[in-house]
Amino acid sequence: MNETTFQPRIAAFLCNWCSYGAADLAGVSRLQYPALIQTIRIPCTGRMSPKFILQAFRRGVDGVWVSG
Amino acid sequence: MTAKKKVTGAVMVVGGGIAGMQASLDLADSGFYVYLVEKNPAIGGVMSQLDKTFPTNDCAM
Amino acid sequence: MDKCIACGACSDKCPQKVLNEYNEGLDKRKAAHVQYAQAVPLKYCLDKDNCLYFLKGKCRACEKFCPAGAINYEQSETQREIKVGSVILSAGFQPFDPSIYSTYSYANSPNVVTALEFERILAASGPWMGHLVRPSDEMEPRKIAFLQCVGSRDMNICDHPYCSSVCCMYAIKEAIIAKEHSHDDLDVSIYYMDMRTFGKDFERYYEKAKKLGIHFIRSRVHTVDLLPDDSIRIQYATEQGDRKTDEFDMLVLSHGLEVSDSTVELARRLDVELGDHQFIRSGSFTPVATSRSGIYVCGALNGPKDIPISVMEASAAACAAAGNLSEARGTLVQEKEIPKPMDVTGDIPRVGVFVCSCGINIAGVVDVKAVAEYAKGLPYVTYVQNNLFSCSQDAQDNLTEVIRAQGLNRIVVAACTPRTHEPLFQETLQNAGLNKYLFEMANIRNQDSWVHTDNPEKATNKAMDLVRMAVAKVSLLEPLQEIQLSVNPGAMVIGGGLAGMNAALSLAKQGYETHLVERESHLGGTARQLRVTAQGEAVGPYLEQLIAKVEAEPLIKLHMETTIKDVDGFVGNFKTTLSTKEKEDSVEHGVTIIATGASEYKPREYAYGQHPKVLTHLELDAALTTGQVDPKSTNSVVFIQCVGSREPERPYCSKVCCTHSVETAIHFKEENPDCQVVILYRDIRTYGERELLYKEARSKGVLFIRFSLDHKPIVEVDGDGLKVTVYDQILKRDLLISADVVGLASAVVSNRAEDLAQMFKVSMDDDGWFLEAHQKLRPVDFATDGVFMCGLAHYPKPIEESIAQAQAAVSRAVTILSRDEMWLSGTVAFIDQNKCVGCGVCWTVCPYQAIDQNEKGLAVVNEALCKGCGTCVASCRSGAPNLRGFTTRDVMAQIEAMM
Repeated sequence: MNETTFQPRIAAFLCNWCSYGAADLAGVSRLQYPALIQTIRIPCTGRMSPKFILQAFRRGVDGVWVSG
Repeated sequence: MTAKKKVTGAVMVVGGGIAGMQASLDLADSGFYVYLVEKNPAIGGVMSQLDKTFPTNDCAM
Repeated sequence: MDKCIACGACSDKCPQKVLNEYNEGLDKRKAAHVQYAQAVPLKYCLDKDNCLYFLKGKCRACEKFCPAGAINYEQSETQREIKVGSVILSAGFQPFDPSIYSTYSYANSPNVVTALEFERILAASGPWMGHLVRPSDEMEPRKIAFLQCVGSRDMNICDHPYCSSVCCMYAIKEAIIAKEHSHDDLDVSIYYMDMRTFGKDFERYYEKAKKLGIHFIRSRVHTVDLLPDDSIRIQYATEQGDRKTDEFDMLVLSHGLEVSDSTVELARRLDVELGDHQFIRSGSFTPVATSRSGIYVCGALNGPKDIPISVMEASAAACAAAGNLSEARGTLVQEKEIPKPMDVTGDIPRVGVFVCSCGINIAGVVDVKAVAEYAKGLPYVTYVQNNLFSCSQDAQDNLTEVIRAQGLNRIVVAACTPRTHEPLFQETLQNAGLNKYLFEMANIRNQDSWVHTDNPEKATNKAMDLVRMAVAKVSLLEPLQEIQLSVNPGAMVIGGGLAGMNAALSLAKQGYETHLVERESHLGGTARQLRVTAQGEAVGPYLEQLIAKVEAEPLIKLHMETTIKDVDGFVGNFKTTLSTKEKEDSVEHGVTIIATGASEYKPREYAYGQHPKVLTHLELDAALTTGQVDPKSTNSVVFIQCVGSREPERPYCSKVCCTHSVETAIHFKEENPDCQVVILYRDIRTYGERELLYKEARSKGVLFIRFSLDHKPIVEVDGDGLKVTVYDQILKRDLLISADVVGLASAVVSNRAEDLAQMFKVSMDDDGWFLEAHQKLRPVDFATDGVFMCGLAHYPKPIEESIAQAQAAVSRAVTILSRDEMWLSGTVAFIDQNKCVGCGVCWTVCPYQAIDQNEKGLAVVNEALCKGCGTCVASCRSGAPNLRGFTTRDVMAQIEAMM
């Protein structure tokens, strides 16, 4: 794999009360990051199910980030 | 005083730090109109300047 | 202000830089600014003292670049007259400015910083984004020292003889976080006089800091020299009298709390009495009342204190302020009328997508027209619109109209974040007659245009992805019902001690019927044995009055010699079975306050029980009241501190004992100046203005001798008298003291009411104290709704804090009792009974104990307790539970639509 062309797609499952808010703040502070990350807001990381992670990989994402 | 004076169902809270905010929230949630007076353009007081708080080292925000 | 969309263009274009107060002047901000990123309200403002237009009459750059036309130079100070029934003063403190101490070189070295400056240095939103560097050269420090009691416990320079209460803990916290931030093994030393870690879990934190290798050095540093490489050399004397020097890269001054001149001025204008140190004066039995009726006080303005006690006092002040106004409750506020939503069940989704430009905040990066065009092609989308500002009032009116005209039944708004704007749009949906849960936001500003500014093409693609995901989810959403619960306006208070009685009286004052349940045959609890408060007020007469008031209050139903047998129900609707020797009674109530108190540790050490004059705190107080111990005929008394506290078995500080011993020692000296009074201690923890008692005791000749945990004193019976041996750390040898009386400052221990905890579904910590919902922000609430705590059952505390906490619990309880009904969120779990096998995993993992077993042994959700976290859904192997609004199908649809 060529490191310079590899563009990983990442699915992020973020807890509404902390990490999702942090992602909003990153915006307020205009911090820049690659656009290949897609966020799904969940009510709590307690809601996170292994099925979601597997399904995301099945859909072709390269990484899954769960944060809360 | 013989005649009972009518009371006003509003409260003024002076200072919008953590204490002022809590007092205001409680009163508003109990059916009172609250005037929260703060000299700065934002509420939050000194607590908003704290990085993290004991014991969980949670962000003070 | 209504027009500002907080895009920051004004600040960006503002040419005028000034010192940033939020970061304690460590960096610069613009004259057009917002105080901090998360400010509420999130509105930019012009700093008139520094704005070029106000100073020189020209510039107006902000006005030119503001996309919302929100700049108004004409705004000026106005005066308003308002009518209120009560006033609460919560103006807080100002951090002490250490510049006046020439010793510490604060004014002339950038590397000597205050603790608040250090807090900003550590903060991710601070001047160095959380990278620990020292200000002079931005080098990462390897060695840091904290100096305690700067501007506290000092009469000479700053005239602040009181202890600021919070500095020991924040110094430990900052030290631990600094170590976490440092790349190398940061060397941290804390120079202190007494470590005052007296609050809940504080002592554990102190022990943790020691284990992390933070050095604690008992000494007051007398000299600070600046070295040519910007480092700092300090000189100090150890407890044993040895002179030492050390060098550090940075010095943090743990500065204290004081009342600002402007607040003093305010208090004088309002004619409320100030104490000797400018904090507002209040009594131990009326902890949030000022000298002027109708004006209350809370927080650090009422004496130096930390966040949890400030929050507690704030609720207490709200309770006191509302107490006189209960007849006017609800007269100045009104409930909103919500139209009945239309039934959309079974209808084909008709999705409306509204793409916001947010001025140029989104449209400047994302091609919003292309996103709108793209949305038209998505399944079920029947209407698409692009708005300049979707959140503006006219856009809301338009949204209502469009929903009706186009017959839309699902709405997507692609704009900023749901965390701030979802409620606004949901309200509009409701006004348009649509269930508010048929809504989804696509966050194309905070999580797209703002973070991918340099890549418009990718940002546009991502916006399309986000809209596609939102449409996929919203099409599946079903209307959710918010359950309406009636609220029983009665309260139950468990425990008829000082806290419980105060809670019951405050509830009655606000007009609520209260059941006060007491196990014993008498009211009063622990306070029955106490002599005086720290401020010297006699406890006995106050308690007598309090009991009389409780007994005379028609709204209080007393249940004496009664215990709780069973509890059914939840917030708003509890049904409790009370049991006495004769009978059982069932009582219905809307809220519960637990005030079950604590007990005194019965010592096994220090010859307790072997001699009639070895007495615990409470026994000594009682003996002094009855005259069994008479100071006039006592030649020598020894107090021993930390009996059963701060030991491996009980690793917490009992908080009240230092003040109690010091105050009793003073009593002995006042009654009999010739009596020898000695206090053997580990750290003297007379926090806040209690420090003045410590000072008074020393000036009256009370001797203080420190011992360490591995060298505890020995008490022996010596004929009729007592003999105490203690190892003196300064003299490095044993001292022998003969004593007539030995007072043991024995620990406050939990009653461990585990059955009660189980019945009310509340938790306890390792030490047996009831566990609050959040240690800082919800200090009297349990995680379980409708149940509150106060008094010693929460943690050891003095009378004034117990009373404040009782009032606080009432204030929190009244936020429920004052409603006729409550609406529960629609986002709750439900269980598919066909899939449930009754294995019990879900009710074990549920953090809110919201899942019960039905008669078939299967799980059922109690929607009144469910908080919608979804942990049960993730835990179940058969997929029986699901979370409304976030069902597996909903989230899967988003994942499907992701790529």
